[in-house]
Amino acid sequence: MDLAPVIDGFGVVLEPVNLLYCLIGVVIGMLVGVLPGLGPAATIAILLPITFEIEAVSAVIMLAGIFYGAQYGGTITSVLLRLPGEASSVVTVFDGHALARQGRAGTALGIAAIGSFVGGTVSVIALSFLAPLVASFALDFGPPEYTALALLGILLVSTISSGSRLKALIAAGLGLLLAVVGRDAFTGTERFTFGSLDLADGLDFVPIAMGLFGLGEILHNLEQRHRAIHAPTEIHDVWPSRQDLKQSSGAIGRGSVLGFFLGILPGGGAVMASLAAYAVEKRRSQHPERFGQGAVEGVAAPETANNAAATSSFIPLLTLGIPANATMAVIFGALLIQGIRPGPQLVEQNPELFWGVVNSMYIGNVLLLIMSIPLVGLFVRILRVRPAVLAPITVLITLIGAYTVNNSVFDIILVIAFGALGYLMKKAGFDPGPLVLAFVLGALLEESLRRSLLLFDGDPTGFLTRPISGVLFLALVIVAFLPAIRSLLSAREKEPVG
Amino acid sequence: MARTRTWISSALAASLLLTACGGNLGSGSDDEAADFPDGKAITVYVGQDPGGSTDLIARALAEEVKNELDVAVTVENKPGANGALAAQELAGKTADGHTLMIYNGSLAYITPLAVPEGEAPDIADYDIVTGISQDDYVLVAAADSGLKTMDDLKGLGKAVKFGTTGVGTGSQLSQELLFAQAGIESTAVPFDGGSPTLTAVLGGQVDVGSIQLGEAVEQIEAGELTPIVTFASERVSYLPDTPTAVEAGYDAPVQQSRAVFAPKGTPTEVIDTLADAFGKAFGAESYQKFNEDNQLTPNEVDGEALRQQWTENLDSYRTVTEEHQIDLGGDQ
Amino acid sequence: MTDARRESLHDLENAIHQIEDEERTPAGPTTNLVLALAVVALGLAALAGALSLGIGTPERPGSGTWPLLIGIGLVGLGIALALRFRQDSDAEAFTRNSAVVAAGLGTMIVFVAVIETIGFELPSLALMLVWLRFFGHESWRSTAIVSVGAVVAFYLIFVAALAVPIPHLF
Repeated sequence: MDLAPVIDGFGVVLEPVNLLYCLIGVVIGMLVGVLPGLGPAATIAILLPITFEIEAVSAVIMLAGIFYGAQYGGTITSVLLRLPGEASSVVTVFDGHALARQGRAGTALGIAAIGSFVGGTVSVIALSFLAPLVASFALDFGPPEYTALALLGILLVSTISSGSRLKALIAAGLGLLLAVVGRDAFTGTERFTFGSLDLADGLDFVPIAMGLFGLGEILHNLEQRHRAIHAPTEIHDVWPSRQDLKQSSGAIGRGSVLGFFLGILPGGGAVMASLAAYAVEKRRSQHPERFGQGAVEGVAAPETANNAAATSSFIPLLTLGIPANATMAVIFGALLIQGIRPGPQLVEQNPELFWGVVNSMYIGNVLLLIMSIPLVGLFVRILRVRPAVLAPITVLITLIGAYTVNNSVFDIILVIAFGALGYLMKKAGFDPGPLVLAFVLGALLEESLRRSLLLFDGDPTGFLTRPISGVLFLALVIVAFLPAIRSLLSAREKEPVG
Repeated sequence: MARTRTWISSALAASLLLTACGGNLGSGSDDEAADFPDGKAITVYVGQDPGGSTDLIARALAEEVKNELDVAVTVENKPGANGALAAQELAGKTADGHTLMIYNGSLAYITPLAVPEGEAPDIADYDIVTGISQDDYVLVAAADSGLKTMDDLKGLGKAVKFGTTGVGTGSQLSQELLFAQAGIESTAVPFDGGSPTLTAVLGGQVDVGSIQLGEAVEQIEAGELTPIVTFASERVSYLPDTPTAVEAGYDAPVQQSRAVFAPKGTPTEVIDTLADAFGKAFGAESYQKFNEDNQLTPNEVDGEALRQQWTENLDSYRTVTEEHQIDLGGDQ
Repeated sequence: MTDARRESLHDLENAIHQIEDEERTPAGPTTNLVLALAVVALGLAALAGALSLGIGTPERPGSGTWPLLIGIGLVGLGIALALRFRQDSDAEAFTRNSAVVAAGLGTMIVFVAVIETIGFELPSLALMLVWLRFFGHESWRSTAIVSVGAVVAFYLIFVAALAVPIPHLF
């Protein structure tokens, strides 16, 4: 591989101006990630006029920083306030918030920062060497492969919940049903929209997640003893211990790889990555019951994976000119405004742009890690605020944040409705996690399934005859029956008690 | 005690400051039409997500118009139902020229064919300031599929699987019309927008797809995609070697088009001022470069001419889909 | 109060709360049954909707095929849940405290009801007031400071800095 352009790329990044833009980007990104509702895509759109004035490379460096900075910001609210702002932060809530309640928010945030750094960096390195190769692999992923992945995801969803299995499945079923609301992508018929134009495009993830997790929890705490938000016992630590780091190292390693590969797949990459990474750790663990109660691996895995995925989601954009998600679409737009059209020839025609952006990601990840050190301590202090004060502020952030999703008051109504549902679910012993994850995967599953059937002319054996989807379905079967196989084997191995 | 007093006075100062900032609950304004815009900001709705073509066009224009009219021109994304939601909101705003919308042609002349009666807005309920530009669709296949011409498709031997960017889109309409008239057996496979459709075509998941020129051009130039026909009325300058569907003998001209809409009842002087400002914006060098970079064809006609264009489109598409028994929407 | 004293009071509070927590009253078998039946009802509603959308055939799935599958699943799961109504103890009962939740929801509903007419500032202020003073038993002084401070902060962040078009009065 010709190293000259790569080195040139570093030259571009290390120009003080670009370093500054990188810093600005990650800071804005982190702040945006902390605000639930407002996503990086919308923020970048707001900043587009600024990009008119500055050079293309600097612009993309800044915008990229916003994107992965927001991943980290989203972790903060997930851990501290139980408010996942993005689908990829939902999984972090399970153990992250549990740790916070035990006074170990610092551990959670610290591990998340380290995991994110490693995940992001590994992903950039892999991107630098493997991008074109992996991109063509991504093209081979068609509807049948997505069907397999989505099925796998839904299967995993029910296993990661810490409550009753049956209730987790019911919650997942409800999530699948909610995903149906809206216009059928194949026939244009409206399903369960009751004539409302606002529901014609379906429900958005953010109001559902914020309502179920955030408002639901606050309402439930209100009931406990007229005091909102369970006060954590005093803050034990502000940074993970050596023991924690050792425990998480495997999770971080596996999460990076999983995240890198799953992030390349357009649509749903980061969510699948965080889910898969968490599930893998839980399955490998000798004590799976720790998950959901504050296991550090439960934070390390999804956080590493989602940052790795965020980075690798640039690959389709930079090597094929295809934006993999909403944020990439806006960055695509920013490049268009600059007169640069990303495509397969971007690397050759604009090497300084390509490598400048890629290399800026190394720097950005380092900056984020460095910034976390003082910031974690600062953010953890938030938990010291009296719960009675923190609760209404969180409520308002949630209500206003819900508006920012589509600039629509309807989403505020939605978040309140889901807040009520979240409260009822909590009372009834249902975990919102499976609902939310099934919601995200449900649409993917149905659409991929129907597309696949259209491609196969209705013949389902097509799933098994395609190489990639065949392999995935095999993996599916194994994953589904593994616990049964395991218990069968271990029962056989046990010596009969004499 | 002193502390409380300082606190009170700073609170008062803060509230005075706040009142000075304009709110946005505006109901009727007292601006005379002749003084438009009179220093008050203009909001432009976009019924799509940020980053898409319509959004970018809106932002490019907002930049120019801002300088022409010397007021803030902000773009507000209100995605949903291909713009129907934004259109609905627009209809409820005061018709004083301070709220506009970049309206998509597909919402005006394709969506009504795909959804039940009354669910798509009627352009007769709005005033139109000016047309903006047009975006052409091109039928593409992966280069390694070997499909280069309509004859190749006819000789495929099995039903052609074509990717569309969704139900009720120009992508779907163009291909349905084309294959119906060519007598080619085909199955539509809808995706969620241009990018997934493009990915599916590149990856060989579907045989062909119809996507907007701007999204396909880089891949075509890189040799990864073969353009078969375009759906423009005349050969597209960016693809001089590709015949149009019409040339190939099929009556399937389908284009995406955009225009500036205002709520019904906007005073004529206001419309004229706006049309003037947009007209100057169209002439700006940076905007013209924007069009070139995005393979957009200018369609800067006045409001009434545009209304006629779009109404004719709707009527002719209605006729031709009925003739070939094409149902864009539900198949129950 | 010295820091040390405050801390030990804090610790004592937490200890009490933890004990209270463990004594959460589980819901009785009736509630469990009602819950399970609600799930079944939801499943049936999904089925009804699916049928009206048209379920198509296995070769040509229609709009309603997928909702049909989900509906069947939910009905099945609901019945399975109903069968356990005596054993399950992970649901909680409604207590007198539950009325507070309704009040909390009420503040949010009022917020969204008036926001388009009078902007977000005033409803936010009102919501903060109710939550701080009536739910949180904060003093009038801290209620006032925190409420105004929060609303100003939100204004600066969302309206001034981010130019979010949320309905605002000022």
